Amino acid sequence: MDGIELEILWSNLIGIVSEQAKALQRIAFSPIVREAGDLASGLFDARGRMVAQANTGTPGHINSLAAAGKSLADLFHNQLVPGDIIITNDPWMSAGHFFDITVLSPIFWDDRLIGFIGSTIHHTDIGGYGIGAGARDIHEEGLWIPPLKFYEAGKPNAVLHDIIRRNVRTPDHVFGDLSAQVSSGRAGGERLIALCKRAGLRDIEELSEEIISRSEAATRRAIRALPAGTWHGESRFDVPGGDVIELKAAVTVDNEAGDVVIDFAGSSGASPLGINVVMNYTHAYSTFAVRSCLNPEQPNNYGSLAPIKVKAPEGSIVNAAYPSPLNARHVVGMFVPMPILKALHQVIPDRVLAEGSGAVWTVQIQGKKPSGEAFTSSMFNYSGGMGARAQKPGPSATCYPTGVAAVPVEILEAAMPIVFDKRQLRRGSGGEGRSRGGDGQVIGFHMRTDQPWLLNAVPSRLDRGPDGLDGAAPGAAGRFTVNGKSMSEPRKMTMQPGDVVLLETPGGGGYGLA
Amino acid sequence: MTYSLAVDIGGTFTDVVLRGANGALSLDKTLTTHDDLLKGFFRGVDLVLGKAGVRAEEVTGVVVHATTIVTNALIERKGFPTALIATKGFGDVLSIRNEHRYEMYDPQIEFAPPLIPHEATFELDERVLADGTILREVDRAQVEALAAKLKAEGIVSVAICLLNSFRNPANERAVAAVLSEMLPDLYISLSSSIAPQIREYPRTSTTAVNAYAMPITQPYLHGLEVGLEKARIPNRALIMLSSGGIIGAEVAARNPVRMIESGPAAGALAASWYAERLGLDRLLSFDMGGTTAKACLIENKKPLVAGTFEVDRMYRFCEGSGMPLTIPSVDMIEIGAGGGSIASVDDLGLLKVGPRSAGSNPGPACYGQGGTSPTVTDADLLLGLLDAENFLGGDMHLDRPAAEAAMGRLAKALHTDVTRTADGIYRIVAETMAGAARAHLTDRGVDHRGIPLLAFGGAGPVHACAVGGLLGSTAVIFPPQASVLSAFGTLVTPVRLDLVRSALGNLEALDWKDVDRLLNEMTDEAIAALEQAGCERKTVRLIFGADLRYFGQQNELSITFEKDPREDRDIASIRSNFEASYHAQYGVNPSHVPLEIVSWRLTAQGPDIHFDGTASAARAPAKPKTERKIALWPDAGPVPVYDRLSLATNQKIAGPAIIEERETTIVLPPKWEAVVNELGCIVAKERA
Repeated sequence: MDGIELEILWSNLIGIVSEQAKALQRIAFSPIVREAGDLASGLFDARGRMVAQANTGTPGHINSLAAAGKSLADLFHNQLVPGDIIITNDPWMSAGHFFDITVLSPIFWDDRLIGFIGSTIHHTDIGGYGIGAGARDIHEEGLWIPPLKFYEAGKPNAVLHDIIRRNVRTPDHVFGDLSAQVSSGRAGGERLIALCKRAGLRDIEELSEEIISRSEAATRRAIRALPAGTWHGESRFDVPGGDVIELKAAVTVDNEAGDVVIDFAGSSGASPLGINVVMNYTHAYSTFAVRSCLNPEQPNNYGSLAPIKVKAPEGSIVNAAYPSPLNARHVVGMFVPMPILKALHQVIPDRVLAEGSGAVWTVQIQGKKPSGEAFTSSMFNYSGGMGARAQKPGPSATCYPTGVAAVPVEILEAAMPIVFDKRQLRRGSGGEGRSRGGDGQVIGFHMRTDQPWLLNAVPSRLDRGPDGLDGAAPGAAGRFTVNGKSMSEPRKMTMQPGDVVLLETPGGGGYGLA
Repeated sequence: MTYSLAVDIGGTFTDVVLRGANGALSLDKTLTTHDDLLKGFFRGVDLVLGKAGVRAEEVTGVVVHATTIVTNALIERKGFPTALIATKGFGDVLSIRNEHRYEMYDPQIEFAPPLIPHEATFELDERVLADGTILREVDRAQVEALAAKLKAEGIVSVAICLLNSFRNPANERAVAAVLSEMLPDLYISLSSSIAPQIREYPRTSTTAVNAYAMPITQPYLHGLEVGLEKARIPNRALIMLSSGGIIGAEVAARNPVRMIESGPAAGALAASWYAERLGLDRLLSFDMGGTTAKACLIENKKPLVAGTFEVDRMYRFCEGSGMPLTIPSVDMIEIGAGGGSIASVDDLGLLKVGPRSAGSNPGPACYGQGGTSPTVTDADLLLGLLDAENFLGGDMHLDRPAAEAAMGRLAKALHTDVTRTADGIYRIVAETMAGAARAHLTDRGVDHRGIPLLAFGGAGPVHACAVGGLLGSTAVIFPPQASVLSAFGTLVTPVRLDLVRSALGNLEALDWKDVDRLLNEMTDEAIAALEQAGCERKTVRLIFGADLRYFGQQNELSITFEKDPREDRDIASIRSNFEASYHAQYGVNPSHVPLEIVSWRLTAQGPDIHFDGTASAARAPAKPKTERKIALWPDAGPVPVYDRLSLATNQKIAGPAIIEERETTIVLPPKWEAVVNELGCIVAKERA
């Protein structure tokens, strides 16, 4: 297949999944899906190898879906008939916590299985503890859906539907979003078959092989251009409750094989809080870090991910073992790229960025409106500053590695009796250097209520700001105060009517001596 | 006889169309004069009047104007000192944006600096709560001190955007009253009038753009009035808006943000006029020029209008990299694929086309202006689709050897020959445009198959059948006057204004007293604006609409009511109207979820324009003027080449064929056939 035919077919495959992702994002109830694009959509060949992925979505979901597709295709090998649809939220098999449900739709062309369309989206609820890191083990975190058929030969699996409906707090939203996943799988499958007919293909085997082998070869070529050796990076940050987590990454470039191996040996052990990260998610953010510095313009698929191997000690915080709680795994997961970037800084200094604030700070509030009606807000979030680049400052109030959008002040004030006192840049919080780190922000609020209310805030880096690179200063550490008093509480806090909350998110690290 | 005039100032050309009451059209194009846009305006008007032998006094019909002046000002950022006034504690809204990182994989991402910098942002200690209650009134002394500061710093225009002002504008108005009393020459934009919708960042962004544009557009529109008077044209100008509305110059001068992209909006209106005349419910307008292609869906004979728009996308046309504007605008997709788009081979050995463009300078290699990158136009030339000696009617000679040299380098990298490479570019650019159109339509819940295409722009007719084939279009239509279609569009559109106001609340608990107050205010505002634009009150038609969503969602869906919803006050019918639209778009309806109303919409429209279009005189069917080999179709033998102007009504042409006009070339592939209809449109269809 030459570079012209392949371009035409390949861009059509990406088009198919991108359209489905857009449709999912618009229809979703889950605010984090709509506003932050917290979803992934991918196309797999008959062996379960990811051939194309939508150009929207978060790294954690996209690369985890790549792994989930393969495991599920293997698990259901020779057991699928037209009309079957597979579902799971198994954290170890897919995206690392119960909220993320993966739906995989086999594509049958007449009776032949030619591939799969898969999607993972963050659902509004999954029962159990709810949002936050407070559960003591995985079972407190909600409903565990093992890999099952959600539809069997076109008919809904009634038992499973009932179980899900009874075990979530927002069944209409969850089923609305699940039906969107199912219909996007169906539409994507129809589009793939139409493409095959137009291009005169009987299946996508040859096409998939071409895409995967070219992608793998190109990634290996990019790796071979690097010097061989092992480089070390480490990142330390504190999480709610005050524990300090240490992530160590040894990045080994084998420029003969064209492999990169990332080993997290020596990283912290499991946490009692629900911030542990499964291997899939660690792998997702590790490959993201390497590829975004190495060859970001190349599409993601089974082949472009294959040369990057990730290891971590079983039971460590980045390779969580059953029954560790996992709910707020982003709190640690979003730091996974940082030690890798520090190691890569010694190899490709112009393409990395300094440490940034890491995880977005998330907030959820529960209480009563003046009318007496109870409310639970959706989860909302705030970014700190991004790390500086060799030639450019870090953007302020912008998160890396995710790029989650924030909910407007006016939307939050309209939804609950909250009044914001300020939301402004935290000037000077970005680390000084030849390039400055991005500034964090200051958010102040109180509640208009005469009743106690619950605050579930998940800040990080309260003790130690993000490191600078090449002798630059670190960004300022975050601050979380209630009535001027510093707090670091991993669980929901009971608040009093007049309490004033202040969140000051960390600045990003600088880059280079000024 | 009564004549009407339309002038569309675009980035390269200023197009002028003169229409007589009998439907006869005269057109001309002149280069846009960037140092003083009005120079080109009046030069074009003089040219057209001279050519038609019409005196200025005879232009007693409308004078409609679309202009790129606001977009230019934003992209160049050479405007006057402009300040932002915000609620205390919230002055950084333009820097914080919505925090979104629009490109996930690029660690070197950048954001445009805010239009109004931090140094020109001032905070006031005032506060309106979400329910509209005023927690802190505006302190006059503070505003007086601010006025002195603004004066000292030479600020000429301010954007006032206070929290929750969409709910209660009193504090914003209080600030404006003091400022205009103390600084009578200051231009003032209130967010509660410019963009009264919830969400502080897009509202501030919209108001800031308005404030930035005001000192540029007010003198411009004034100069236009004076110029028209001096030219002895009896009527005052009407201004085209991005929504496809047309309004008087006074209203436009207060809302310059609404003039952005009015030229392309007018192109979509021309498409909807053709949809009406041809009896097509749906039509996809496809306008491909030098650097980009634009597509817009015409649904029920009207262009889709979106509530938001982004201007000046700085990163590969990427959503999120521009400034958000919450103004009603014709819902158009812009793709980085045009005649100047550059082809290259990437690391994976794939042939890529765009989004980088050679623009008009140096332009494609075949322009002979020093460009060495192979572009879409070079491919079109090498495939034989364009005639090197007949480009722009022969005014511009195309350099075939230069195109061959550029394409040869690319062919070598692909291990193939020049023709196969050019053929690949031709196919890939069609795939890119078809792919973007599919995504755009899917996003709006529309099946892309079976929609006819209306092709225009310099490169549109060259590529339209290839795109139409990929989209499964039932027909590809090439209108006459394709090179001045936007100007033409302004002349077939009634005077119209679209307004929107946020009123967030539970639909079931709707307070009709509030609705009455809001809709009365909107109606008064709209009717006053239409009266200023010369409409009689009794001819004004009001169309009511609303934006709703299921509780818990954050994207709303616009619905239109058959009549004023206050007549029946029927919440159940509002709900079923919304549910039907939602189902049409998403294919599912969640049960038992309550509805939230987000905004009310009102469109006020003047009388329809009656214009039947020109019928070309019946003539004997034309013969081809020549024939040539087309490398795109190696098996076809010599292909006939027609001159479009020579074609007669009802003449049929079988593909393969080439039909040339001065500004573009229609490419009719093998297995297609075309017919010239009564409107002068060439309608092409693929043979079954």
